[in-house]
Amino acid sequence: MISTTADSPLVEQSAHSHVQEGFFRKYLWTFDHKMIGLQYFWTALFFLFVGGALALAVRWQLAMPGTEIPVIGRFLPQTIAVDGAIVPGGYNMLVTMHATIMVFFVVMPILIGAFGNYLIPLQIGAGDMAFPLLNELSYWLYVVSGFVILGAFFAPGGAPGTGWTAYAPLSAVAAYNGTRVGQSMWGIAIFINGLSSIAGATNYITTIVNLRAPGMKMFRMPLTVWSLFVTAILLVLAVPVLSAAAAMLFADLNLGTSFFKPAGGGQPLLWQHLFWFFGHPEVYIMILPAMGLASEIIPVFSRKPIFGYKAMVYAMMAIGVLGFMVWGHHMFVSGMNLTLSAAFSVSTMVIAVPSAIKTFNWLGTVWRGSIEFKTPMCFALAFVSMFVIGGLSGIFMASTPVDLFVHHTYFIVAHIHYVLFGGSIFAIFGAVYFWFPKMFGKMLNEPLGKLHFLLTFVFFNMTFFPMHNLGLGGMMRRIADPTVYEHLRQLQPLNQVCTIGAMGLGFTTFIFIWNIIYSLRNGPAAPANPWHANTLEWTVPSPPGHGNFPHTPTVYHGAYEYSVPGLEEDYLPQNVPAPDHARLESH
Amino acid sequence: MSTAVLTHDAPAHRGASPATCKFGMIIFLISEGMLFAGLIAGYFVLRWTANGFPWQPGSAWPPDASLPHLPVLLTSINTVFLVSSSITFHISESAVQKGRSGLGWLALTILLGATFVVIQGFEWVHLHHEGLWFDKGGIYGSSFFVITGFHGMHVAIGVLLITWCFLRQSATRCFTPQHHPALANVALYWHFVDVVWIILFTLLYWV
Ligand code: HEM
Ligand SMILES: [Cu+2]
Repeated sequence: MISTTADSPLVEQSAHSHVQEGFFRKYLWTFDHKMIGLQYFWTALFFLFVGGALALAVRWQLAMPGTEIPVIGRFLPQTIAVDGAIVPGGYNMLVTMHATIMVFFVVMPILIGAFGNYLIPLQIGAGDMAFPLLNELSYWLYVVSGFVILGAFFAPGGAPGTGWTAYAPLSAVAAYNGTRVGQSMWGIAIFINGLSSIAGATNYITTIVNLRAPGMKMFRMPLTVWSLFVTAILLVLAVPVLSAAAAMLFADLNLGTSFFKPAGGGQPLLWQHLFWFFGHPEVYIMILPAMGLASEIIPVFSRKPIFGYKAMVYAMMAIGVLGFMVWGHHMFVSGMNLTLSAAFSVSTMVIAVPSAIKTFNWLGTVWRGSIEFKTPMCFALAFVSMFVIGGLSGIFMASTPVDLFVHHTYFIVAHIHYVLFGGSIFAIFGAVYFWFPKMFGKMLNEPLGKLHFLLTFVFFNMTFFPMHNLGLGGMMRRIADPTVYEHLRQLQPLNQVCTIGAMGLGFTTFIFIWNIIYSLRNGPAAPANPWHANTLEWTVPSPPGHGNFPHTPTVYHGAYEYSVPGLEEDYLPQNVPAPDHARLESH
Repeated sequence: MSTAVLTHDAPAHRGASPATCKFGMIIFLISEGMLFAGLIAGYFVLRWTANGFPWQPGSAWPPDASLPHLPVLLTSINTVFLVSSSITFHISESAVQKGRSGLGWLALTILLGATFVVIQGFEWVHLHHEGLWFDKGGIYGSSFFVITGFHGMHVAIGVLLITWCFLRQSATRCFTPQHHPALANVALYWHFVDVVWIILFTLLYWV
């Protein structure tokens, strides 16, 4: 019964697939959410490569300050490296561009643009997004913003060097930063990228609310869809505030306004408030979809229903709401009123509660399951454990007295990377291994995947764990040469360990790229449902045909009916009605 | 590409239903609302930290007697134009719903919207002569020009969108009582721009 339902569309697929389109309509200007998702995927992978290269340059400089970068050093612009060795101003540019690219051009586009686009219509049983043209426009706006940000490298004066947080007055006064054009291009790129995000988010919310298949009640939706739904709401509310701030910054630099310039009566602190009002929701924008992806992978490879489905949903909503009330925890040292600071401390600690609920629910899901350590599962479990480390360092920093000491040190850098690399990127890797068969119709190579996982896990911790110690040892963020500080010289070996780890991560990524290339060409063909999963995308062929579903599916129950007592199979796709005697988790 | 090949009942690549379009537009407008909220919040943070809250002594605005006051009277008249344009747009939409073309009222809407932009432009030039500009008059000038600039841009885009509706309607009579989602969405946008203006007008000119 189950297998016929899952496989029968194959027959009709052959009728689907001879819709022939030219290269341009198929790959460049397409209205198919799946292809748009893949456009995002490949573009973001390209940016991952760029951002990673920048990070390696940063690590090179920190391990061996002032030494020439072999081979490529001489090709870098004069503003960044002279005679192949990185100069202090150039170091700031590298850090700034690394973080800006990773946040706005890698993590967001892969999680939201690629997986969001690919999975939302498939998982809710829709043929496409509500507004396909808007969807494609949002992708091209992202590409345009990408050109602008990369163009900043070639601006007179060089790329912006004020950090991804672009604190004023450094960012707002051209005489201070020396990169009027580069910093302005940063603002433009952020603005256009924001338009892209808002267009995408509008589309996602509309699609999820209006285009669900019959029977797909909100509380039957897979958690991936829930997570992207909450994320989209955060995007709609938070991103425009950053756009406003970026516009003001642009005006300060080019029109002579004085929003952030004390000389004209402006307030540098206003920038911090606007930036972090966006910035804190933004960090949840980057972790919620990752949580959603992991919530999909973990039950499948534990063969158990997700533990506490509704609690997971409510936790995400709580995170979404609380996320707008904690931004001050980035500004404890800004001289803010101590009562306010205490309030922000408390609200920040409160937001850790729903995060912990999610963590315990993942553990509850794995607990006594029939765990299969396939590559996606390895990454998903690593995601949970690394997120816990990052979340715990977050609690440290949430307490004002501690943060006064660790603010602007490598402790923060360690935190960021545990949540964003150990969290978001690990979940992304897991999701790639999990959904690649659906996206491309080929299985990824499992041994290569395991190798990729193992090395990433080891090198990740080697790179970022010592940063906790560096930070507590007093090493500041965004300094081009730690060895000029007396108290940091003894810590230099730790910096070198980090750099070796980072290089390991860089090389490991090639295993991943190789796996993709190799499997695309030689991988075994993927069946419709290789992991025996329940969500609707697995009921159609891999890759799904144009329009996704030959007939609109009907949904009978939630997405996590694994090992249901009384059923022969240990899974029950959402479009298969359960026999009366089956004891389901969901309704 | 024949639809026979694509035998789905799922709405792939077909236009979304009018209700769905409207929903999407509302989400987008909420986002637009946050943009203006960010700008306006910035303005008040700057103004209040520099000059004190309105109930405190010395909080007179503009801060410096040599700076020009905003032309409240002219802008009040201009506001009447913009509000009327929302009304004329609404009448035009009702006309379409009753099966008429609605073109006359649409034309009037365009005229009123364009008048608003022109008068706003005149006001900018006037204030520039009086010594207020992006880079003159500190945060007073900065905020006024950036905020009204953003809003004026929205009005100008709105005028273009209405003109686009007007041209389509006069060429093809594409808006029928049952089906006119483009018109309805542009109307929604236009009313939004109008409401934002009433808020901005109150906060910038009267507070
Ligand atoms: C348990 C939850 C979390 C808590 C309590 C927490 C707390 C904090 C605090 C207090 C800071 C400010 C530290 C300082 O600058 O002095 C911070 C910074 C940061 N957090 Fe978290 N955090 C949590 C989760 C996350 C997650 C899930 C992400 C992203 C996926 C994230 C990303 C960041 C980033 C990027 C920064 C640094 C921003 C910068 O200054 O460049 N955090 N966090
Ligand atoms: Cu935060």
